[in-house]
Amino acid sequence: MRKGLLAAGLAALLTSGAANAQTLNVATAGDQNMVDYIKDYLGPLFEKKHPGVKVVAVGTGPGDGGSQKIYEKLDAQKKAGAPSDFDVVVVHQKAAGTMVKEELLKKYRDQIPTGSLVTRETATNALGTDVSGYVMPMFHSQTAIAYNPDLVKNPPNSYPELREWVRKNPKQFGYNGIKGGMSGVAFVAGWVAAFGGDAAKLEKGPYDPAAKATWDKAMADLKEFNQNVVITPGNAGTLDMLNRGEIAMGPVWVDMFYTWKAEGKLPPTMRLKLVTPGMPGQPMYYAIPAKTAQEKLAAEFIALATSPDVQAEGIVKRFNWYPGIDAKNLEGKLDQAAWKQLFSDIPPETLAANGKPFPIGPYFNDILEAYERKVAN
Amino acid sequence: MARPSFFGLLLIAPALAMIGALFLYPLGYSLAAAFTDPQGGLSLVNFGKAYEFYSTDILFTLFIVITSTLLTGLVSIAIAGILTLGETPWLVAALRALYRWPLFIPFIVAAQCMRTFLAKNGLMNNTFVALGIMEPIQATSLLDWRGIIITFVWKQVPFVTLMLAGAMASIDRATIEAGRNLGASRLRVLVEIVLPQVAQTLLVGLVLSFVTMLSVLSVPLMVAGSQPTMLTVDMAFRINSYGDYATANALGVISYAIAGTVAWIYLRHSVKREVQA
Repeated sequence: MRKGLLAAGLAALLTSGAANAQTLNVATAGDQNMVDYIKDYLGPLFEKKHPGVKVVAVGTGPGDGGSQKIYEKLDAQKKAGAPSDFDVVVVHQKAAGTMVKEELLKKYRDQIPTGSLVTRETATNALGTDVSGYVMPMFHSQTAIAYNPDLVKNPPNSYPELREWVRKNPKQFGYNGIKGGMSGVAFVAGWVAAFGGDAAKLEKGPYDPAAKATWDKAMADLKEFNQNVVITPGNAGTLDMLNRGEIAMGPVWVDMFYTWKAEGKLPPTMRLKLVTPGMPGQPMYYAIPAKTAQEKLAAEFIALATSPDVQAEGIVKRFNWYPGIDAKNLEGKLDQAAWKQLFSDIPPETLAANGKPFPIGPYFNDILEAYERKVAN
Repeated sequence: MARPSFFGLLLIAPALAMIGALFLYPLGYSLAAAFTDPQGGLSLVNFGKAYEFYSTDILFTLFIVITSTLLTGLVSIAIAGILTLGETPWLVAALRALYRWPLFIPFIVAAQCMRTFLAKNGLMNNTFVALGIMEPIQATSLLDWRGIIITFVWKQVPFVTLMLAGAMASIDRATIEAGRNLGASRLRVLVEIVLPQVAQTLLVGLVLSFVTMLSVLSVPLMVAGSQPTMLTVDMAFRINSYGDYATANALGVISYAIAGTVAWIYLRHSVKREVQA
């Protein structure tokens, strides 16, 4: 809060100090790399194209908590009738849904040229809330199955094939359950979507408390499946065991996988596979507060940030994230090596088809509880 | 009995206030929360949920902690025995210099080391393979319940040994020498003469170890996967993922009950001794 006030004061000072200079305040949730991305890469790029404009980046902290802080500030300013001093905000899915519901955001996507480049479901649906028009995805994180091609010649293409593979190759597949990080949670959510019946309903709602009864068979199968897998300690634990050759396959976060590979913590031969019907991932969103004074500038900033060039160079090449816009728009923008790295294992069409959102909030909790009750205990 | 003086009470007031504010209040609060249902009434619904979700983990926790305590006791007796009765000076000196080291290593660091040491292709197995003791195909990962027990024992043995060796050093050497002169082996002297005299200290050390191991979060979290796992991991998960303090508190009460049972055994034992004395 104090930091926010300070930033606001600083911004006011800068605006009044140089009458013709404009300041664009960007508030971002997430880790320090998010702030660095805007401060060191995107900000200077935007300033070059808009002389006289200064981009100020403020970080509000990692995880949903960081997004919550942005929400609280916008909410307080709305109640006080004051204009918001953030011009662009970068938030997670849960907070974006709340902000749209409480009319804290501006509908801007159709007014920017890159608005039509987005194809993924998550641009319109944030964990069950309709956010179409209010947000542009900055990037997507995705989960996928990592495998060691020395041990697995023909990796499974789908959840049913994976189940069959594990039956034939006991203790060669590892995941971290649901208490050791999100890659295991994503695997379980994908399992329920694959075997539990109505997958579309999990993603879009409406919520039906009786739906969890239909997962009994899927959960019983998962319990049986677990007899033949290794439960690893955490997201990094799965990667560790892959690295040491103790397991041949396991679900991982794609950006983490590539970063480890680049740092030499995984053999360069390791590959990824995004199995059907799909595994979950999550985006972060660019949005514009409803009451900003810099509406036009903010829209231009987001248009630049979601342009194919910036998505290719900044999001994909520098940070190993998947682009927020449809990946096929990036073809030709990346040098061959970077393109090969991100898309050789999971081509853009597969990503668009099999990259799923997490289930809506209430289903998500039901899945985790059903897992604890029926599978883990 | 003398009446408590006003100044005496005043003197202990800060300590009492501290215990009240930092221990009794949170304890009472978590007990109350564990027995409260979402509507605010008194109920056992949280315990029902804890049992439904985590009955395996409760048994697993008991198994791990009891096994670790017994092994810690055995290893500590062996080391303290060698320190007291050993007749090979260099061995005693080396052991005396080495055994305390793990005391200064935090649980989380120990867990991190074990993670690479005990893995299937970790340092330990690789060493055995390189020495020709083991074929690579025989290597198995110890990063499951065995890893947790190994880490706990490794970490708690120095603590118990420290107490035990101190107690053994202060008993009357004449009793040991009498036994040796009459031809008893060192093992027999240890079991029949030394141990009975230090049993009280051993019990204290083991009870403290038991309670410590019951409360460690980092080791089960880092060394083993989450199925099954110890209650501390489940409590952290309920709070971090759901903000579900009620079930976490119910699990906490189950932990108190386990620790309380051990404390009761210890208290009963020491009261009996006091009555005898």
